Amino acid sequence: METQPLFVVVMVIGILGILFIGLPWLIFHYVTRWKSQATLTNEDEKLLDELHDLARRLDDRMCSIERIMSADNPNWRQVACDPAETGLEALGAPSQTRRIGQ
Amino acid sequence: MSVRHTKFYRDKRNGKWMGVCAGIADYTGVDVTLIRIGFVLATVLGGSGIVVVAYLVAGWMAPVKPRELAYQSAEEAKFWQGVRASPARTVRDVRSRFRDIDRRLADVETYVTSSNGRLAREIEQLR
Repeated sequence: METQPLFVVVMVIGILGILFIGLPWLIFHYVTRWKSQATLTNEDEKLLDELHDLARRLDDRMCSIERIMSADNPNWRQVACDPAETGLEALGAPSQTRRIGQ
Repeated sequence: MSVRHTKFYRDKRNGKWMGVCAGIADYTGVDVTLIRIGFVLATVLGGSGIVVVAYLVAGWMAPVKPRELAYQSAEEAKFWQGVRASPARTVRDVRSRFRDIDRRLADVETYVTSSNGRLAREIEQLR
């Protein structure tokens, strides 16, 4: 009969310990894990910003280069795809021979 | 601690009262009117004051958006909304853009080198 209050006290202390130490521990453990995994670090963010900016600028430059090439020779893409068959001779030759023949 | 794009800020300039709804719209990319309607509906239909309390807590805790984080273009805003939603997907997008540029540059290179070779051959034939 005398051990019962002691048992209750131990149980209460145990439950309180779990409630106020174990549970916050568990929560903070997962919070820190989640924080370290899910979010970008400051450096990552800067790097991503820089890469995105760089990609945009390179894209713009490629567009202007392609525009210049198209103005120079409208079918340059075909030449690039298959330089041996199509391209300058195939599309330019008939008109040239005709011009020479005339 | 420098300013970051991936934090939640209140957007007071576009906001009605504390800028929480506008901040959520800015953070997620969802239209601000829809979020306001959602807030009002949740307040009216939910009955409890949880939504209002949440609004006030967010308005009290979240900092106002710093001026230097204002987006220069809609494209930039969309980019950062994508980063906040899924960083991994944004990284893949940027990589695919680089690959696209690489492919286009390779086309230009092939054309330039092959047409140079062609020109050299034609000059040789003329001799």
